[in-house]
Amino acid sequence: MAKTIGLITANYSTKFPSALTDSRPVASVPFLGRYRAVDFALSNMVNCGIRTLGMVMPYNYRSLIDHVGSGREWNLTRKGGGLFILPGSAFGTSRTGSRFLLRDLGHNKAFLERDNADLVVCSTANWIYSIDYNEVFAAHEASGADITVLTQPARDKDIDVAGFEVVDGRVKGVKHGVVFGDTAFLDSFVIGREKLLELLDWYNANDYLDLFEALAGDYDRVNVQAYEFEGYAAPIFNKDTYFKANMDMLDPKITHELFSVRPVMTKAHDNQPARIGTTANVTNSRISGSCIIRGTVVNSVLGRNVVVEEGATISNAIVMQGCKVESGAVIENAIVDRNNRVPAGTELRGTPEAIFIQGKGQE
Amino acid sequence: MSKKELLAMLLAGGQGSRLYDLTKDVAKPAVSFGAKYRIIDFPLSNCANSGITAVGVLTQYRPYLLHSYLGTGSAWNMEDGVAILPPYATQTGGAWYAGTADAVTQNLGYIEMNDPDYVIILSGDALCRMDYADMLETHKKNNAELTIAVMPVPWEDASRFGLLVADETGRITEFQEKPPVPKSNLASMGIYIFNKQLLCDELRLDDANPDSTHDFGGDIIPKLLADGRRLYTYKFEGFWRDVGTIASFHETSMELLGDEPSFDLFAKDFPIMSNTESYPPAYYGPDANVTDCIVGNGSKIYGEATHSVVSIDSVIGKGAIVRDSVLLPGAIVKDGAKVINAIVGEGSTIEQGVEFGSADSGKDYTFCGNNVVIGKEE
Repeated sequence: MAKTIGLITANYSTKFPSALTDSRPVASVPFLGRYRAVDFALSNMVNCGIRTLGMVMPYNYRSLIDHVGSGREWNLTRKGGGLFILPGSAFGTSRTGSRFLLRDLGHNKAFLERDNADLVVCSTANWIYSIDYNEVFAAHEASGADITVLTQPARDKDIDVAGFEVVDGRVKGVKHGVVFGDTAFLDSFVIGREKLLELLDWYNANDYLDLFEALAGDYDRVNVQAYEFEGYAAPIFNKDTYFKANMDMLDPKITHELFSVRPVMTKAHDNQPARIGTTANVTNSRISGSCIIRGTVVNSVLGRNVVVEEGATISNAIVMQGCKVESGAVIENAIVDRNNRVPAGTELRGTPEAIFIQGKGQE
Repeated sequence: MSKKELLAMLLAGGQGSRLYDLTKDVAKPAVSFGAKYRIIDFPLSNCANSGITAVGVLTQYRPYLLHSYLGTGSAWNMEDGVAILPPYATQTGGAWYAGTADAVTQNLGYIEMNDPDYVIILSGDALCRMDYADMLETHKKNNAELTIAVMPVPWEDASRFGLLVADETGRITEFQEKPPVPKSNLASMGIYIFNKQLLCDELRLDDANPDSTHDFGGDIIPKLLADGRRLYTYKFEGFWRDVGTIASFHETSMELLGDEPSFDLFAKDFPIMSNTESYPPAYYGPDANVTDCIVGNGSKIYGEATHSVVSIDSVIGKGAIVRDSVLLPGAIVKDGAKVINAIVGEGSTIEQGVEFGSADSGKDYTFCGNNVVIGKEE
């Protein structure tokens, strides 16, 4: 593999804030109980051999730094290379939806200049997929492209996902939002390190733009090739896609592809094994470590340390770590953020079309 | 190397031969226990929870899994690290560890390098939650030279143990190894705190003694008693199990279960740390029927699991039944198979439709070692 470094722009600012992203960036939204969104981008890069990795931080970085720390779980605590925490720019709300804001890349040129790598892999932390980047590197080299972007035919209409106009494999334009069958951008690309520095110089005056917006007039002279990723990929830009992606994890075929082919590394906790009590009834669900289940859990994903008392019922729901669901409580079609106590007799109920969201509880 | 008050030496070289196939390819301290832990997690967590920052782990038998599991010791917050101490060669030759005392004697250099005031000798193959700092306080309060942790055992079982007879102040007056007529019911737990200088001096004397078997219980303690040294007991009344046999391994595993287990992994004040796995949360299938189990991450349960330990990364297939059993990490029980009153080794497979184990409580527990396949005709 050519010498490659990674750059994760973890400062995506969502266009559709919800209680889930009030207190944290999308990058550190909990996913499938024990993970956070950023684990997938980080693990993909580390799994292909990248050991020098920059991460552009959002302004509300507390939970993200808490999670990635020094990068130990991803083997990034090293004498040479390792994890570089990079500052993101403060840009208010006008640039919400940007993935690779030129200003964020430009402000961190030193990270790119100080390394002698041939290639840079860039990614946001907004997608769930497991990819072997070595295949992308091979395609990048074979096509002689300046930039190779990861794409996939869109599975659904999604106004948060970016799309490309592609002719014979070559990108001709970019657009916001996709409908079924469009070429969706998986928010990751491979580029020569020197080419990236050159583009940053070109667009220096327009650094309020996203890289792919800035390229809009130049898709003829910059060769951007699409690489179609055939595996499972799910965006988690808003509460609906977030809910759907979690529910996808109840399909063992998808989780096999995501977790068993290559590992997804995450911050380790000393959790006990889950305790499933004598009165429990758990079906089609994912239950994390340190949970104590005595009630009924159906079609749901539970984070760490969730207690479900006898007589409580959870169905079609995501219940995050530290929640206590008391006897007689009902949670249905809902996302319950961490540390909520759901008292006896309470019903947190949404519908499949309108998922109910309960924000974080008190620590 | 900064000076430490208390240094731990963890004896982890034991084969655990009465665990038969479970220790065919791993040392007993590395045997999986409690769905996600290994036995050595318990003494190491005790060290961490007691404020100990450096542990020497004496290994000998089948060490690879144990060594890779220990790593640098950072999983247990050992800031000065876990030092792996296997037998080694010198200019005058080298030898296997000949006994518990000999293992420590051969590593006196490690103890002197750390220069502690006290040394605690631990067994790497017992399960307990114990605060060694409290034991050290007792040691200092008694102005003792050696303190031995003891636990009361039922009088009718006492003659199976090494027993310590102590006066009302806790000072030890006599040591009885498996006596036919016990004078005490205080059994030694094999946990000792020595004043460092005394330990070093005595081990050197013992090393030079051609008649010694180089064992703490058999040689060192009787000699110190005969010399009139200040030996005291530290009485421990909490949970302690040796899990030295298949039956005790199975029964102790079952003690983790129930709504109020006698061995509670969820006790908040004394966390058990481990070198954690990286599996996704366990999956319970559409027809899963799981009650009274502890379940590790990465496992997939499509059938029934009742009153069992389902370790990390194990699979219970459709229509399969697992009852009163222990599945060790990566065990696979295929569709329609039955596992009753049994232990399935790490990475082992029970083939489709096979019945492994028996509901007959008069029979011994059925078990298999690691990475084996149990088919129809076995």
